[in-house]
Amino acid sequence: MMTVTLDIVTTAVLLFVVATGLLVIFGVLKIINFAHGAFLTVGAYGALVTTAFGLNPWLSFPLAFAAGAVVGLLVERLVVRPLYGRPLDAILATWGLGIVISQFITLGFGREIQFAQSPLSGTISILGETYSAYRLITLAIAVAVGLGFAALIEGSRLGLSARAVIMNEDLARGLGIDTYRVRRMTFVVGCGLAALAGALITPLSSVDPNMGVPWLINAFMLVMVAGSSFLSLALAALILGGAQVVVSSYFSPILGGMTIVLLSAVVLRLRPAGFGRD
Amino acid sequence: MPDAVHASAAAPALEVANLASGYGDSLVIHDVSFTIGCGEIVALLGKNGMGKTTLARTILGFLPPRKGAIVVCGNEMTGSTPDIIARNGVAHAPQEKAIFQDLSVRDNFRLATADDRTFRDGVSRVFAFFPFFEQRLAQKAGTLSGGEQKMLIIARAVMMRPRLMIIDEISEGLQPSVIDRIAHVLRHERETNGTAMLLIEQNVAFALAIADRWAVLKRGEIDDVGAVESGAAASIADHLSV
Amino acid sequence: MTEESTIASVAPSTPSARAGVERLRRFAAVLGALAILVAAGPFVLDTYLVNTLIRAFHYALVALTVDILWGYAGILTFGQAAFFGIGAYAAALVFTHIGFSPATIALAIALALAAPAFVGLLLGWLSFYPGSTPLYASVVSLAFPIVVTQIIFSGGTFTGSSSGLVGYQVVDFPIEAWFWVAGGGLIVFGALAYVFVKSEMARVLVAIRDNEERCSYLGINTPRVKILLTAALAGIAGLAGFSYANFSAVVAPELTGFVFGTELVIYVALGGRGTLIGPLVGTIGIDVLSSYLSGDLPYVWKLIVGLIFIAVIVALPNGIAPLVEAAWRRLVHTRRATGSERPVGLSSKPVAAVSTATLEIVGVSKSFGSLKVLEGINLTIVDGELVSLVGPNGAGKTTLMRCVSDGRERSSGLVRVNGQDIEIMPPFRIASLGLGRKFQTAGIFESLTVAECLRIACALHDQPSFLRSLEQLALPAAARLVIDATGLAELLSREARFLSHGQKQALELAMVLALEPQIILLDEPTAGLTKAERARIGRVLIDLVAQHRLAVVLVEHDLDFVREISSRVVVLHQGKIVLDGTVADVVGSQIVRNIYLGAGHA
Repeated sequence: MMTVTLDIVTTAVLLFVVATGLLVIFGVLKIINFAHGAFLTVGAYGALVTTAFGLNPWLSFPLAFAAGAVVGLLVERLVVRPLYGRPLDAILATWGLGIVISQFITLGFGREIQFAQSPLSGTISILGETYSAYRLITLAIAVAVGLGFAALIEGSRLGLSARAVIMNEDLARGLGIDTYRVRRMTFVVGCGLAALAGALITPLSSVDPNMGVPWLINAFMLVMVAGSSFLSLALAALILGGAQVVVSSYFSPILGGMTIVLLSAVVLRLRPAGFGRD
Repeated sequence: MPDAVHASAAAPALEVANLASGYGDSLVIHDVSFTIGCGEIVALLGKNGMGKTTLARTILGFLPPRKGAIVVCGNEMTGSTPDIIARNGVAHAPQEKAIFQDLSVRDNFRLATADDRTFRDGVSRVFAFFPFFEQRLAQKAGTLSGGEQKMLIIARAVMMRPRLMIIDEISEGLQPSVIDRIAHVLRHERETNGTAMLLIEQNVAFALAIADRWAVLKRGEIDDVGAVESGAAASIADHLSV
Repeated sequence: MTEESTIASVAPSTPSARAGVERLRRFAAVLGALAILVAAGPFVLDTYLVNTLIRAFHYALVALTVDILWGYAGILTFGQAAFFGIGAYAAALVFTHIGFSPATIALAIALALAAPAFVGLLLGWLSFYPGSTPLYASVVSLAFPIVVTQIIFSGGTFTGSSSGLVGYQVVDFPIEAWFWVAGGGLIVFGALAYVFVKSEMARVLVAIRDNEERCSYLGINTPRVKILLTAALAGIAGLAGFSYANFSAVVAPELTGFVFGTELVIYVALGGRGTLIGPLVGTIGIDVLSSYLSGDLPYVWKLIVGLIFIAVIVALPNGIAPLVEAAWRRLVHTRRATGSERPVGLSSKPVAAVSTATLEIVGVSKSFGSLKVLEGINLTIVDGELVSLVGPNGAGKTTLMRCVSDGRERSSGLVRVNGQDIEIMPPFRIASLGLGRKFQTAGIFESLTVAECLRIACALHDQPSFLRSLEQLALPAAARLVIDATGLAELLSREARFLSHGQKQALELAMVLALEPQIILLDEPTAGLTKAERARIGRVLIDLVAQHRLAVVLVEHDLDFVREISSRVVVLHQGKIVLDGTVADVVGSQIVRNIYLGAGHA
């Protein structure tokens, strides 16, 4: 029972971290970054590289974020900015980008599934049940990241500007805010978050060049269901992520993999506004 | 927003020459030219649909001009983006979607300044004009009353310490007492800081109470101009009557 | 409203008939040449290339379906691959588990058509509903192949799981026959697709892509069109899958996957969406190249394709085909037509029996949360009235228009169009009750010609043809009046995007009238018009009311215009009706003066 609960919470928090990056990019830039899954994969392989080089595995998290941020900066300049005002084309182009990135990774690392070493092995006893120590740490880190991001967006100047641009870009510009800069920073942070999530996920399962796609789809569905509020995103991640874990554990993992997509599609079909506040 | 350095008395706050702009294939503004001197208040009057807001949006950089030039305090601004124009000392009090409804009053004010030091200075000036804001900083801006929201818009514009304010139908739907308060604030800004203003209005009485000059916009062109003096109200009423 | 209207047709002019025969000859010649190439293929090409081409032909057929969905209907889908795969698996499953006989072959074909079509209906229902966005539909189409692949993985030995199904008995053709079947099938489908995209029905698809809202206000049930199109093309892709399952004698989950689905989108984008020939050549070209190059550099090739794809999206969103076409034209020195080359004949429908019109608005209110935009609006308008709705900004005029034309908008109250309660009907149903709405920003279809725009507007009463392209346009008298008066009758072949603003406004008005409504709502019809254009529209509106007995309601800011043409003026202020009377009543009213000169309120 405890195991399932912890699994639910861990899954929900990881989903939240991945989906937050997508949501903030969608809110500020008004596009869906279809390369989001590829950035997650970049972070995952970054973690692989870090341990392969014999570095402290804990370093893989900040390094992954940095890698994601740097690539994100390049992508924003070369692909996203020329397509400002052409959102559907921007989505297509980011999808192509995702393919390009996964091809680079395949060239570099091969197509097979690989396994990364977990920074922390062993289990911890919680309330009479044993649980993987690394999963608990992952949970803690992900929660910290989530809270850190919330602090950034609620407390910092950049966060305030980002929220202003999400609500009314014209008004923000009229107040002298350089919205191009806000868009750029938002994209960079969103990609960094995806990469960080990838690094967190790596020791929990395996890595392969296409691992990011299911995360992208799930994150996208969560964003659609949640509307524009980060709070409803957290709620959606908990409820739908929880459903996924329950179905995987008690029915079949394959069915579980489809749960979020199927549930979200039905919810959106019946209630197009999703969970978002009116 | 850097504190605007007040330009020399020579450069007019705003010069608009042969301006034309519109949406899609249609031209809403055809050939508009006028000047606002440093520290001058000009009222732009006209009925709905005549192009007043389109003109404001063009000057502010939201709409690219098809023709003509815009010069702000001697700086060429034609075709610049709105954030650059704003940082050059132009504050906009929009008619619609003018505040961030879901942000607090404090956050709405914070967005008007570049950093928190300027924010503290600016907000204390706001309290001098509108003391009630001091108690309401945490309140969500969307829950303020209509009049309070309009005062928020003016307060925010004042905080930007602009050289030019473009104020779009601020008096719409307001009680006379609130209108008077706003008029007082605008006059004070002009006297103390030499802020010039373009007052876009349909409320003729309010406009004439504070403006130095007036112009009537009809179907995208300036139909008539004049100084604010006796008899002005009558000639304007002719233009605006049903 | 299904009125049988006999079209008083004008005999087609002889030059146009001759041109038609000429076109048919050219078309047949091209098909004949292609057939010869396909027939000769197996004898001049080596076996490896023949095998590769057979596969490429199958893929190209599916790519054509993607192009119809994306390039014409504007539906970006990654899911066509899954339908292809479902068809292939249908065949393999039947042959593996049931056996091989003429009966099972027939069963497999039926299943390969029906199963994808049914799933297509389901997918369409999930993706296309009032309020869905193209983005959402695209992502659903991306999730779909993933779900299908997962289902196959979980099927154990029944579906062959990740290794697929192999070794089932297949329709045994020699390789030359496969080449002819695949190549021939592609030519046949390509020809049908070509005829279809030129048909009137395909114009409806383009119209939905250009301006879906306008289509629903013209009475077209746009979600249904999209769902049926998806289902039909799903069945066709499934059929291609059936053929492929027989040719390759092995089916694997990759056939249903999103990777393949994405590749199809890439081929279409690179070839040139909306051109048919671009995706066809693009798919065959890239697939053949891939099979030769990926032996040497497998992932690098995919990488290169991906990079080219991004570059094309950024720099050449229309793909390569339009460039090739432009170069060809310059080479052959053909004059580029600004619209369709075919002249369209114009005729008038017989005048319908004059019917009465009534619009009843009873106690209508609209609130956004605590903000009351409209309060207790009571208004009845009948035929023969030209009512102008005036009031300051934010008075609620456009909101009222919306509440009348879309049953889901209002918060409370009742609206009856010609005696029929609109309840919560969506716009396309209200349009069929006899209500037409003209928007402030001219809602026309930029990619279509004037004649085609008008034809779409007639779609509610005259079912568009699936085969014939537009040659004859029969318009009701009111629409005819507008296009004759504004000179659009001479511009039938011009693409709507090249019209001036005033002409676009006139076109939209004519389109609304082509709907044969009894009541029309016009939102700022004079916005952006010149003095002459305004005068003309004014006369047209007066005519419509006097001669054709329509009920016309306009929202207007131009009070001079209002004064000249209205029979009645309703003044709206802060969501309530302040005055409802004649022009004289309103001009002399002190209340109205106060509102407009802004004397302030408590």
